[in-house]
Amino acid sequence: MTSSRQIKALYRALLDQQLTKSRLLLITGFSVLALVLALSIGSQVDTENRTEAIVGFLSVYGLGFMVPILSLLFASTTLGQLVEDETLVYLWLRPNPRWQLALAAWAASATIALPIAVIPLAAAAAIGTSGDGGIVAATALSMGLAAIGYSGLFVLLGLVFRRALLWGLVYIFIWELFVARAGAGAARLSLNTYPHSVLARLTEIELPLAERSMAAGLIVPVVLAAVSVGATAWWLSRAEIA
Amino acid sequence: MTVQGGGLQDGNIEISAEPRAIPIDASVVLRQVSKSFGPLVAVSDIDLVVRPGITAILGPNGAGKSTLLRLICGLAKPTTGTVWVAGGDPRFDDTARGHIGLVPQQDGVFERQSALETVTLAATLSGLANPDTQARRALNTVELDPDLGRPVGTFSKGMRQRVKVAQALVHDPTVLVLDEPLNGLDPRQRQHMIELFRRLGDAGRTVLVSSHVLDEVERFGSHVVVVAKGRLVAEGDFHEIRDLLDTQPHRVRVACGDARALAARLIRSDAVLGCDIVKADTLELTTDDVRVARRLLLSSSRDLDQTLRAITPLDDDLESVFRYLVGRPS
Repeated sequence: MTSSRQIKALYRALLDQQLTKSRLLLITGFSVLALVLALSIGSQVDTENRTEAIVGFLSVYGLGFMVPILSLLFASTTLGQLVEDETLVYLWLRPNPRWQLALAAWAASATIALPIAVIPLAAAAAIGTSGDGGIVAATALSMGLAAIGYSGLFVLLGLVFRRALLWGLVYIFIWELFVARAGAGAARLSLNTYPHSVLARLTEIELPLAERSMAAGLIVPVVLAAVSVGATAWWLSRAEIA
Repeated sequence: MTVQGGGLQDGNIEISAEPRAIPIDASVVLRQVSKSFGPLVAVSDIDLVVRPGITAILGPNGAGKSTLLRLICGLAKPTTGTVWVAGGDPRFDDTARGHIGLVPQQDGVFERQSALETVTLAATLSGLANPDTQARRALNTVELDPDLGRPVGTFSKGMRQRVKVAQALVHDPTVLVLDEPLNGLDPRQRQHMIELFRRLGDAGRTVLVSSHVLDEVERFGSHVVVVAKGRLVAEGDFHEIRDLLDTQPHRVRVACGDARALAARLIRSDAVLGCDIVKADTLELTTDDVRVARRLLLSSSRDLDQTLRAITPLDDDLESVFRYLVGRPS
């Protein structure tokens, strides 16, 4: 009971630090662009190829850019900002197990990343496919899985690295967009391949990087998030706090 | 009172011999604690036992005071040695950490929260039953209005400092660690905080306060730990430390009628090591025996038919103690 009260307090405090005007503008910009592009694709591509075109767009724009970048922006600063402005000490010094802070940080990040990943991109899928329920559901699920996984990964990144935003962008643009596409081994180490696989299998449309099974696509992002929370807690217990 | 590790300029020192077991009344114990950052040794081989009451940690900027306090709070891991606070290692023992209240040196606070939200969060995380009530009590203690709704980010430095003190006090810690706690406070608030910390010390809390402002430390209390270049160079009652240093020269300022004539007379005595004429009617003499010098002053002024308007010791304060101990001006 006490634990849940403390996790809730941590979660609310971390969430409160996240939403700033500039970030809300960025979310709005990404979302509006997704809707406009989906509308444009839906109106320009013939009916026969429309689903493939929209899913391809969601794969590149949604899973390739929007979800990882917005997740990075929020998750890497959840604890990273506290390290930067030296306020982590106020949470760290309290008599709470480290996993509580790590879990609250992931939950605060995912609370923002999930709706900003799922809602506009599912809406874009609906607009682009004239309301194809299957595509909309596949989009919502795959984007949600990506947001969950990336949130965990980038909370840890923000805690460990000083310039987490830069390192996160390097990971997204160098590793996920280029290295992971170069070979099967590297692809396994790319988070992006798993939600891609879910999107591809549910929509039955071939996508690059979509080489994992449905089960792996569903399980790995969640497991990655859990492992990241554990690693964040471990790091917190050993880190030196300013 | 102990002076450790070659702190005195002439190397005439008494080495501390604390018992190796943890004293029953100790709140904080450091055993051979060192902390290095790469090649830089920030804290070197410190043995320290802190008991309830106020202990002031004195040292210049860069002496290792903040690192020492971070080690005590578990925020930094000692390179060697052990830290024990209220029954455990604060790095890994949640219960031990729960006994600590820290006012860190850095200015950072949760900018977007109100003072009440910040302190309520601290109370909730400390597991208090009525966090809101406790937070209001703590804010009242530091003379901040709990209902001041605006974000802490808009507060003045002094108000932010009081928020930091309130969050450190809210769970009534047994060990209160204060790193330069009076920064940004106006004189009235400083006095209020000093009285508050003294009350906590008198009530059996262990209050560790660091400062490089000598006047501040002197007002906190007479038990002093002097840190210089990462080493603990002296520990004990401030006046005892000063007494130990009686072999060191003392300086006395004398306001008289004719400083030049008086200086010419004084310098003939073996007890007077030097005389500086500050102004026509003021001189500063250096002596290794204040009593003899004082008698000499009285007799010389009488012989010269001068009136002594004031005799002021210049080094009966922490600055002079510190200067002697670390061998450098502060």
